[in-house]
Amino acid sequence: MNPLILTILLFALGLGTTITFMSSHWLFAWMGLEINTLAIIPLMTQHHHPRSTEAGTKYFLAQATAAAMLLFASVTNAWLTGQWDILQMSHPLPTTMITLALALKIGLAPLHSWLPEVLQGLDLTTGLILSTWQKLAPFALLLQINPTNPTVLIMLGITSTLVGGWGGLNQTQLRKILAYSSIAHLGWMALILPFYPSLTLLALLTYLIMTLSTFLVFKLNKATNINTLAISWSKTPIITTLTPLLLLSLGGLPPLTGFMPKWFILQELTKQNLPLLATFTALTALLSLYFYLRLSYSMTLTMFPNNLMGTTPWRFFTQSTSLPLALSISMAIALLPLAPAMMALLTP
Amino acid sequence: MLKILLPTLMLVPTIWVTPAKWLWPTTLAHSFLIALTSFSWLKNFSETGWMSLNKYMATDALSTPLLVLTCWLLPLMILASQNHTSAEPINRQRMYITLLTSLQFFLILAFSATEIIMFYVMFEATLIPTLIIITRWGNQTERLNAGTYFLFYTLAGSLPLLVALLLLQNNTGTLSLLTIQFSDPILLSTYADKIWWAGCLIAFLVKMPLYGVHLWLPKAHVEAPIAGSMILAAVLLKLGGYGMLRMMTVLEPLTKELSYPFIILALWGIIMTGSICLRQTDLKSLIAYSSVSHMGLVAGGILIQTPWGFTGALILMIAHGLTSSALFCLANTNYERTHSRTMILARGMQMVLPLMTTWWFIASLANLALPPLPNLMGELMIITSLFNWSWWTIALTGTGTLITAGYSLYMFLMTQRGPIPLHITAIEPSHSREHLLIFLHLLPLLLLILKPELIWGWTF
Repeated sequence: MNPLILTILLFALGLGTTITFMSSHWLFAWMGLEINTLAIIPLMTQHHHPRSTEAGTKYFLAQATAAAMLLFASVTNAWLTGQWDILQMSHPLPTTMITLALALKIGLAPLHSWLPEVLQGLDLTTGLILSTWQKLAPFALLLQINPTNPTVLIMLGITSTLVGGWGGLNQTQLRKILAYSSIAHLGWMALILPFYPSLTLLALLTYLIMTLSTFLVFKLNKATNINTLAISWSKTPIITTLTPLLLLSLGGLPPLTGFMPKWFILQELTKQNLPLLATFTALTALLSLYFYLRLSYSMTLTMFPNNLMGTTPWRFFTQSTSLPLALSISMAIALLPLAPAMMALLTP
Repeated sequence: MLKILLPTLMLVPTIWVTPAKWLWPTTLAHSFLIALTSFSWLKNFSETGWMSLNKYMATDALSTPLLVLTCWLLPLMILASQNHTSAEPINRQRMYITLLTSLQFFLILAFSATEIIMFYVMFEATLIPTLIIITRWGNQTERLNAGTYFLFYTLAGSLPLLVALLLLQNNTGTLSLLTIQFSDPILLSTYADKIWWAGCLIAFLVKMPLYGVHLWLPKAHVEAPIAGSMILAAVLLKLGGYGMLRMMTVLEPLTKELSYPFIILALWGIIMTGSICLRQTDLKSLIAYSSVSHMGLVAGGILIQTPWGFTGALILMIAHGLTSSALFCLANTNYERTHSRTMILARGMQMVLPLMTTWWFIASLANLALPPLPNLMGELMIITSLFNWSWWTIALTGTGTLITAGYSLYMFLMTQRGPIPLHITAIEPSHSREHLLIFLHLLPLLLLILKPELIWGWTF
């Protein structure tokens, strides 16, 4: 892609999200989301391949539906209450509709089914943008409306953690696994949103860090399915050693970073006197853990047989930059001792 | 505390900067020095029972023996792993010792934590190094299955524990072990409270493991490399017992009614796993099932909540830790020579490795609890307190003891006596490293006969 066009697209991508961040008016928020969607579609289809075209189309349809629903809901809101202010949502009907529209936008189950298919059609960089940056604007809106009834978000959250775990179990394609992992993580964020929005933010932040490093690891290894991961030990031995920790951190095992949001979310749920919900959610995390564990098995904990020439690529100098990966992977593994500081940062 | 923790952390740079030639001697010496320093914890002259207090950690009569056992095990694991990792590249050997060290680090933090959530985090943190040790350094492909079983059994038990602990924290306002026994008794009457009680204990019962949720243990033991088996049998299972001992004070009024099924399972498990041992062909599997059987006794002793039961449980945990670890080492010396765990393929070892037979003999006797070894002291205290609770338990514990003697004898006869098969006449003689290894297991066991109050816990 022409660098000038790429720059314009990335700028528009940033602009759309920023407009949504800044807006207090539903029309502006909707506009930001639309700019954002329209900017990423050319990025999705930059490789002329049937799969990426399919992904772009599916993404467009899902996002357009969500945006139309959002617009409809905000117009309804204006009609019912006479104002467009995001922070002043009071009527349950538009609030629920907007929640569902945003759930479709980020891919919360049961509105998730576009996400794995779209992600599978993208290259890893665009996939990274889709599973990190594209979640920010909808979450900014979700955090601002105060839901009148927590049941919708709880149901979305529980379904997502379940579907995210179950869906990932029989996948061999890394991008689909990451999509389901994303669904499960978003479920945790949606679950705690009605009770303690700062924890949603914390979970989102740790999810961004962990997903960033996972995508960067896969990109460094040019890996798109589990089999390719199996020979990564011959390309990048040290990253291969660290990746199980990263994957288990995604799975939420103490003492890694991924445990922090889960711990706090469970604590808040027990404080809200919802111990059964807390236990159930905690146990659904085991489903996701299984496929992370399977990835670590094939990547690091077993040695894939390779011919003699195949074992030496790590000796060659590579041009790829690894500083972002180094930073994000250390944060994705070892942030738990900083939990008090993180909470202080994110609590208003 | 930091006198032990910082040297343990500094083992990591030692491991990575030592020249390859000196890797094993240096790490051994370093970890052995840590183990010797850790003995200073045993001299507990504090009136409150708590020693070496700092902000997050402390030791008391209950955790000290387990802490010292943890520190003692690291040099032994290094000593035991030297041969079977010698064929690997040097960096992988360094990684292996680093994992063992990290395990010791997490275990020290777990046993000395003064906050239950801190204990929980460290309890879980030990899973990752153990998982990697089992699935990366195990020998067969079934090791992946074993790793999955290990991880998921433990986590399925311990995630409800986390929720239960957080509920407790909301109720009492603190989870500090220093003050929790002084907090007001919680009102426990509803069904939800009963489920909460189960949530608090099941994680530890899975870790112990209780009969019925023990299936992960034989798999993990059979597939793990020697150091993994050693630490698993000697210390990791004891995390379960330790956690139960700590939680018992909080769960006070409910345990009396609710513990019956668990006591029955524990005692029934002694018989069942003992019987499985009697018909076992796989040496490591036999020792693993023997661990389950002994841990059943420990679980029974803790669940009836008498001072004798608690003390017996702690004594048996320490004694069994040393004994089963020694047995795994002995099994490994056979495995490294014959490359098979099947007992029938390596009989009559007395003819080829006569001194090893002595060690096998002492370790088997310790396993079947011969007087005056601490094993007997622990079993006797638990059996007595169980008998005091109900006469009928003697039928189960007595039979269990008999079966234990039976399979220990079976194990000894099967490996050491009998005709020597032709295919193993040319095996290499035992190294002094191996003799030292077993000796260092049995020495503390024998010395504890002279001063058993070190592991008597709260009773002393």
